[in-house]
Amino acid sequence: MKFNTRLDCSTIRSAFVAIFVLIIVVTAQQVAHAQYLHPKVVSKQTTIRKIVLLPAKIEVVKDSMKGPEGMAAESDLLGARVNQLVTEVLAAKSVASASGPVAGAEGGDAQQKYTIADIQSRYDALLPKIAKKKSDVKKGRFSLGDEVLNLNVDKTADAIVFVRGHGQRLTKGKTAFTLLVGGMPAYLRMSIGIVDAHSGEVLLYTDPVAVGDPTNPNDTRLRKAIEKSLKKLPPAP
Amino acid sequence: MLLVLLVCFCLAAPASGAPVATTNAAPVSQDPAQTPVKSDTSANEEFKFGTVDLELLEQVNLLDQRFERDGLVLEDEATNGYLARVGKSLLPRGLNLEHVSWKFRALRDPVPNAFALPNGSVYVTTGLLALMDNESQLAAVLAHELTHVMRRHTYLQNRSNRKKILAVNIINAVGVWNPAGGLAGAAIDIITAVAPFIVTATIFGYSRDLEREADLKGVELMMNAEYPPEEMVKALKLLANDIEGEQIRLFYNDHPALQDRIKYVSAYLGSRSDKITAAMELNREKNAYFTKAELIMQHDIQLAINAARYRTAVYLAQRLVDFHRDSSENVFWLAESYRTLGPRAPQLTDKELTNSAKKDATKKRTRRTPEEEEKDLLATDAGQQNWKANQQKAEELYLAALKLSNPVPAAHRGLGMLYERVGRMGEAATEYEKYLGLAQTAIDHERIQRRMEMLRRPQK
Repeated sequence: MKFNTRLDCSTIRSAFVAIFVLIIVVTAQQVAHAQYLHPKVVSKQTTIRKIVLLPAKIEVVKDSMKGPEGMAAESDLLGARVNQLVTEVLAAKSVASASGPVAGAEGGDAQQKYTIADIQSRYDALLPKIAKKKSDVKKGRFSLGDEVLNLNVDKTADAIVFVRGHGQRLTKGKTAFTLLVGGMPAYLRMSIGIVDAHSGEVLLYTDPVAVGDPTNPNDTRLRKAIEKSLKKLPPAP
Repeated sequence: MLLVLLVCFCLAAPASGAPVATTNAAPVSQDPAQTPVKSDTSANEEFKFGTVDLELLEQVNLLDQRFERDGLVLEDEATNGYLARVGKSLLPRGLNLEHVSWKFRALRDPVPNAFALPNGSVYVTTGLLALMDNESQLAAVLAHELTHVMRRHTYLQNRSNRKKILAVNIINAVGVWNPAGGLAGAAIDIITAVAPFIVTATIFGYSRDLEREADLKGVELMMNAEYPPEEMVKALKLLANDIEGEQIRLFYNDHPALQDRIKYVSAYLGSRSDKITAAMELNREKNAYFTKAELIMQHDIQLAINAARYRTAVYLAQRLVDFHRDSSENVFWLAESYRTLGPRAPQLTDKELTNSAKKDATKKRTRRTPEEEEKDLLATDAGQQNWKANQQKAEELYLAALKLSNPVPAAHRGLGMLYERVGRMGEAATEYEKYLGLAQTAIDHERIQRRMEMLRRPQK
């Protein structure tokens, strides 16, 4: 009788573990490709036909047994690659890309640089709040305000795209260590925010994850992750 | 057990790397009066660069480029030239450091801070420049940062951090492979969970000994350059003024507690009182500094408003108006600060400055946007009162700014925004129109044009 009870307990425990693992796997997939759209986009009151991509801010580190080391040059290259991929994925949805903000206001180039930097940091200040309650994008809670107009982007542009990301590449030693002991694998976690170019409202937010060495020149994984994360965005008519 | 002992030994290892040939980071005595501060020639002592140091140098050079490219550096020759003049006057004569090329630049950041990269790039934020009272205080900050470069603190700290992280990895392995479990395993698990935080904390600041050395050596550099060294204490006191009630790490907050620093620097100055002479009274008074820094201060007020540091904006703008009352620009910035302050009180109460209140405020800040914060405050009586008082003050100041000579056109824009917010739509549109007429090439022309058109659109 006692033996049977033990068996039952272990069976139940195994079942619980299996369910738990299943939940983790399923939710992890959802988190990786979850997309939050503003009601205006869902109701097609706002249509995104043309976007302006601001320079992506992506930071990758090389994680070794002696700790993480910066990879500034590689991060810059990766930022450009991610921007290119986002452009291509959006182009497949008939969303055109306009050139970046144009100088021409008083103060010349420095003023233009400052304006871009200020809008980028405005977005960075909003990002933790979005990340904390992503579903509120669906309620139209987040906005950068009409200061986005100070960027003086192409007048035909409907939206501005902000890309952020952080990731790590593992050294061989760290890879072996991770396999033995556990730990974070090589990855790139991005966040893509699409903001109305006139009102500053956050129209879409998504945070795709690409597992694997982010500095690997093969873009397949990265592209897939971005494609999946922008799946819900309605194609431009 | 042996492994754990090894780990403890690694964690306790001094901050020195194998290739170091000199004793640049000699620990500083706890008695300030007895603190040995090396002579200028010691800075020229050889520092042997290892591969790790050169890799760090490479990253740091790229960091410089990144700051510039991303519009973080204030591209104002006058300001950067001024910083370079003050900074270079502090450097010992004949100083020649390998892989160091001195550059002094202002960083567009409203949070008071300063830091030096090991390649000789010294950055001071506009937030700090706007907070200082005179050039000597700026020299105090620069002297502190120069010491970090001269003593190669970044390289030493980097080597030390790498050792700690390696140790944490070993602890991690021990923890995972510990077959015993129980208390020993739990203890290791806790260390593993806590140690990364400690290690991360050290990455964002130098060790206390190194910071202490930078302070005391900084005093020496100030005296050699004939800056009154007591201004370092005054600078520290200014930095201790918590205007926003924030819990974020401000300049020197991640170093020894500010009060401790004020104490030991004061004690050190006391022991060197023979060197503080009246001859040091140079033309570095408040007025001279404010004249040079007026534009930076105005720029910083805008940055403070952008970063929702409204109380700081009011504080800085009031200092500017007190200094130069006849400047339309200064009065405009004070008006702008009061308008954006909205339903907040201009100063925090003592109750709001307690640690628990700050913690609570930080939590709320991470959850709410500034607009949501305003909405919540407006639902209270105090918020309503503040709102009315601040908007009234802002209106008076905007109108005053427009009456002064060379009135700043942006005062019309500010009035327009104020009137729009309180529902005086017709007046708002008129003010916007005036602004657009006066500032035709302004960067926000399109934005204000749209606002005006919206206000003039017939209501359905």
